[in-house]
Amino acid sequence: MGTAFRLIAIVVEVVILMAVIYALFSAVMLTSLDFGLDQKYKKYIGRVMTIVGGLALIFFLGHLIAFYPRIPH
Amino acid sequence: MDSLNRIFWARQEIFIMKVYLPIVIGFLILLIGLAALFVVSFWWRHYRLWHLGKEENRFDQVAKRIKGTLAVVFANARIGKELYPGTFHFLIFWGAVLIFLGKFVRLFSYPVGLTDPPQSIFRYASFLSEIGALMAIVGACLAIFRRYILKPSRLETKPDNALIFVWGLTLLVTGFLAKGYRMSAVGVAVPPDWYTWAPVSYLISRLMLILPSTPLNELLVWHRAIIHALPALMLFTYVIVIRSPMQHWFLSPLNVYLRSLKTKGVLDPIPNFEEAETYGAKEISELTWKQLLDLEGCTNCGRCQDACPAHLTEKPLSPRRMTQNLKQHLWREGPKLLSLPPDQRSSEPIMETTVGDEELWACTTCMACEEACPVYVEQVRRNVELRRYLVLVETKFTSDIRLAFKNMQQTSNPWGLPRNTRTEWTKDLGIKKYAEETDPEILFWVGCAGSFDARNQKVATTLVKILQACGIRFGILGTAEGCCGDSARRMGNEYLFSTLAEGNIETMKGCNVKKILTMCPHCFHTLKHEYPQFGGEFEVLHYTQFLGDLLSQGRLKLTKPIEQVITYHDSCYLGRGNELYELPRRIIQSIPGLKLVEMERYGKKSFCCGAGGGRMWMEEKIGTRINQMRTDHAIETRAALVGTACPYCLTMLGDGVKEKGKEESMAVFDLSELVERSME
Repeated sequence: MGTAFRLIAIVVEVVILMAVIYALFSAVMLTSLDFGLDQKYKKYIGRVMTIVGGLALIFFLGHLIAFYPRIPH
Repeated sequence: MDSLNRIFWARQEIFIMKVYLPIVIGFLILLIGLAALFVVSFWWRHYRLWHLGKEENRFDQVAKRIKGTLAVVFANARIGKELYPGTFHFLIFWGAVLIFLGKFVRLFSYPVGLTDPPQSIFRYASFLSEIGALMAIVGACLAIFRRYILKPSRLETKPDNALIFVWGLTLLVTGFLAKGYRMSAVGVAVPPDWYTWAPVSYLISRLMLILPSTPLNELLVWHRAIIHALPALMLFTYVIVIRSPMQHWFLSPLNVYLRSLKTKGVLDPIPNFEEAETYGAKEISELTWKQLLDLEGCTNCGRCQDACPAHLTEKPLSPRRMTQNLKQHLWREGPKLLSLPPDQRSSEPIMETTVGDEELWACTTCMACEEACPVYVEQVRRNVELRRYLVLVETKFTSDIRLAFKNMQQTSNPWGLPRNTRTEWTKDLGIKKYAEETDPEILFWVGCAGSFDARNQKVATTLVKILQACGIRFGILGTAEGCCGDSARRMGNEYLFSTLAEGNIETMKGCNVKKILTMCPHCFHTLKHEYPQFGGEFEVLHYTQFLGDLLSQGRLKLTKPIEQVITYHDSCYLGRGNELYELPRRIIQSIPGLKLVEMERYGKKSFCCGAGGGRMWMEEKIGTRINQMRTDHAIETRAALVGTACPYCLTMLGDGVKEKGKEESMAVFDLSELVERSME
């Protein structure tokens, strides 16, 4: 039960952290467009952000699995 | 706290201090810079769009602007005109302010050591946040109930609205949960007065304590999850919320600050008329920057729609829809325009693509939409700009408008009656021309209705008798008087208006006119506020002001009773246009025996008779007739008399009573006629 719960908690933490990353990256994208970046670059920037986001996901997963505290019973 | 909890928190501390906190601190430092960038980009995006518009000065009278803005923003002054939405907006706004204040104080309490043990200011701040969050939740629930259960017809509900409610409620509820979990982690040994400083969170924490220890430990983990969720929700603010209707947090106060401080309904002349290459607004960039800001400042609340007589009588016009459509047009065409060099900019026209002809011509310029709008969006000027383009550039208008223009141009009255018959009504009244009167006190500006319309000629005659009875030395211009041009201007024919205005001004200056008395609110409004644009500076009074003065001075005594119940119809250009609501009522109350009952829509909310904006001269083919709807309002009061102080309203309401078959039980009178009946 404790192991399963720890897994669920890690997944929830990852989802929340990825939401933060998503919001941040989307904000950067919109800011760039607001400052005059041509719409034609939006697709490429999106792809770069997806790759960086994927790297962030791997980082968060790794750290949380390694360091997330075990829940005492 | 038991040993297991101690171990748990010790491990938490290592994770938090060694891993999580350094990441968060790095993030926050980056975020401060990013946040500044986000704020700048938000304003830059909007500024670039507004800058597409023409120049306009809205930076005068700073103190007055600030005062009005503070009243609207903090006291929710205009929003509170409607009780239910005003209440929940107040709760949400002030709830958010209290939360922010509380969080701000608590944030700065940590570094200065006010939290352990918690000092008074920390506790007060905690209480403030709790009450604020509770207020905001109650307000949000009221708003959700209205939007999704009551579903008023004027509200347009989109997925954006649901997202805003989900975002807001999640933020508020997780705040309470996080605090509740933190309190439950301490267990039963909570300081006894915590329930006074954090009542809601305390309640949640006590509910948590009924669970056995194992789930409780798991819940403590969720506490961390919720704390993490808060920054995610905050960041979502920029991505979704700031591009949604929540933009009104920033744009609406700005729109209120930059509002027009002129009298409502006053139109501006076309600058450099002779040299201008185009007139009116064909494309979105031909509106002024303030008119573009209006489109973005609109909160889509629909109050204008609920006040618009055209919309309520099933015409194609909805002020809200027109504003929102124009906003979409701006968002569509604006970036295209910005991507081109200034001298090559051209976008699709507004008319036919975004605004329909019938939609535009349905407007009576009654200003009900502007009166209802909580954020001072200006609709009338914008509608007239679009009309100016249709009339002066495309010459695209209906045959009845064409006839009215032709009549005003050729015979200086919209009826097209010969100019030399303007004074036929004065036979046997002994009225002198202004230039022939010895030391005249005032010029009586009769207007076209009083000169040519049979019903209104009686009103003009009545006014003359009152003036003569009071010993006022006055004169008229006679056949030298021309149409004031109000209808021409409101229908977009600025050239015709300027010709008529300049002619009249020259005539009046030639006679050395200083003070003018009008019987028509449209003439009053135009002569007082718009003739100065062409050099015609006169002191202009409507007859209700003049009679009010005579009553106060005792020169006019009303002694004969009129034992009737009357309802008073506020005409748009006297009431909303010039804020003259009390004077006509004081005149009514001075007449012995006359009992005033108000219609449901009276005063600032008065319902147009349907003749303004040049609509007096246009056929009304769509939906219910506006004058009939207004007559219904009068009939509901069961008054025997309907009083008004406007020739257009007199005509329209008189027609309305006939069309409804109520001539036996209801009569429409001008106030001056009632005054004359009551005079000693």
